[in-house]
Amino acid sequence: MRDQPPKKALDETVLNAINKLIVVAASIALLIIVVTFGWHVFGRYVLNDTPTWVEQLAKVLICFIAFLGAAAGVRDETHLGVSFFRDMLPDVIQKLIIILIDFALAAFGLVMLIAGWELMAFGWDSMIPMLNIPESFKTLAITMLGALMCLFCAARGLRRIVTFSDWTPNPVAKET
Amino acid sequence: MGLIILMLVFAVLVIMGMPVAFAMGIASAAAFWHEGFPMLITFQRATSGVSVFSLLAIPFFVLAGELMLHGGIASRLVKLASALVGHLKGGLAMVNIFSSMLFGGISGSAVADISALGSILVPVMKERGYRPDFAVNVTVTSSIAGIVIPPSHNMIIFAVAAGTGISVSSLFLAGIIPGILMCISLAIAAYILSVKHNYPAEPFPGWPAVGRAAADAIPGFLTAVIIIGGTLSGVFTVTESGAFGAIYAFLLTTLYYRSLSLEAFIKAVIGTVRTTAMVMILIGFAASFAYLLALYQVPSRLSTALVSISDNPIIILLMINLILLILGMILDMAALILICTPIFLPIAKGLGMDPHQFGIMMLMNLGLGLCTPPVGTCLFVGCAVGKIKIEEALKSIWPFYLAILGALILVTYVPAVSLWLPSIL
Repeated sequence: MRDQPPKKALDETVLNAINKLIVVAASIALLIIVVTFGWHVFGRYVLNDTPTWVEQLAKVLICFIAFLGAAAGVRDETHLGVSFFRDMLPDVIQKLIIILIDFALAAFGLVMLIAGWELMAFGWDSMIPMLNIPESFKTLAITMLGALMCLFCAARGLRRIVTFSDWTPNPVAKET
Repeated sequence: MGLIILMLVFAVLVIMGMPVAFAMGIASAAAFWHEGFPMLITFQRATSGVSVFSLLAIPFFVLAGELMLHGGIASRLVKLASALVGHLKGGLAMVNIFSSMLFGGISGSAVADISALGSILVPVMKERGYRPDFAVNVTVTSSIAGIVIPPSHNMIIFAVAAGTGISVSSLFLAGIIPGILMCISLAIAAYILSVKHNYPAEPFPGWPAVGRAAADAIPGFLTAVIIIGGTLSGVFTVTESGAFGAIYAFLLTTLYYRSLSLEAFIKAVIGTVRTTAMVMILIGFAASFAYLLALYQVPSRLSTALVSISDNPIIILLMINLILLILGMILDMAALILICTPIFLPIAKGLGMDPHQFGIMMLMNLGLGLCTPPVGTCLFVGCAVGKIKIEEALKSIWPFYLAILGALILVTYVPAVSLWLPSIL
């Protein structure tokens, strides 16, 4: 599915490690939400004391699950896309388009990083009720997605240019 | 002009093969920039679109389904279905459809349904002399039941997109009969084909075996009952029911069935993160996209256009269905629910249609889109599981398309199909 050279280069090893790390972080966030919600129900029905911070915490953590998970999806190319039209083109053109998309995503990631940074700066003074942490924690997640997308896609685009003759443009494994 | 930029950038990027979520994000950013708004609104909308309390039910539903998938509940449901309907003509096809109905209720995800049931049933069906394309087509089309039969995370997305006036518990109830109806209609199609190709019936194992299979499967099936029951009774909110369902599924598969290994648990959690992220990122950027569509007054313009073509409700609903079908063939469900609901729901309401009925119609319609080329996630996964080419599957899939369309027409034009159950409970 991915085009990996016979022996893994250093950059691939590092990027894979980062990828694994963000999946683990998002998974932990998921488990925290599930457990705290269990506590929420328990608190309301058994302790008669609803822990109101649970909802607010979950609304922050869901951003990390969504955006960090999406970054992993960018790395592993699992996001839903339409390759149907592209598949009809000659191989070389397909490969050029794939590289173009890599860099377009990297650029979009950069825009997201900058915009996310500004949003964090805006939200720094307004606190999330119950948690007493800045609103910026929510936008931190999308800022991280921007940074990771920029990194992953630029690295992939460069690798694809360097190894242009070594890969085929049809990585859609699900269709085989 | 801004609208043209939005649509054009989006279309070009999607045709080039960029992931749909990011194509929506880039198109929105371009449109905001053109309008002289700061581009960061795109990302602010995306973040606030994701950070919605009701949407938290999505990871919970997905996790419950994943735990059931990796914890061995799917095979138990298949056993129950085999014991019950395996002795009919084309028995394994019936088992496949019936299992989808049961499992779909639990997982709420069509793709999970295919990978869980397809990998068990398709090889067995091939071995028993069923044509591979038939086996795949039954698996793929019946998986749509998971979207219509509650609890389904797509219902949550619809409820969020529709805003006020939608009760998730009524939506849950409204989906039950249409889901069963769709399965019956698929079973009829499969039965006719089975008679034609003389597919075998399996021996009936006897009622004691049915009882044993049921006793083994019912605790797993209770996950769905907990989620639906918790929501309906008002004891839990949908989100809490989801969390509770996931915790129940975890306890059941580790303590009662003892079939969930640590490795399988990790797989389930990571699978949940990935699925949730894929849906949520679509929701986030679709929120930006939909905001711009509203800004450009697309909903009201489109409804004026539709009403000017005809004022006959039957024709208008037919046109809405056609548009949804075409869009559903190309784009993914979550994004379409968010984009199309604000456009078409007001029109449907104007015709006197109940929003819950509209929701079920839309979900069933977009579900069919998951089984059609050029972009049909279910079709792709099904063909991968069955190891056949998509072209091969498409040659013989049309009776199943007709079956789903038949059910869709009933849901569209007979309100009682979806609304009767919520009205009596």
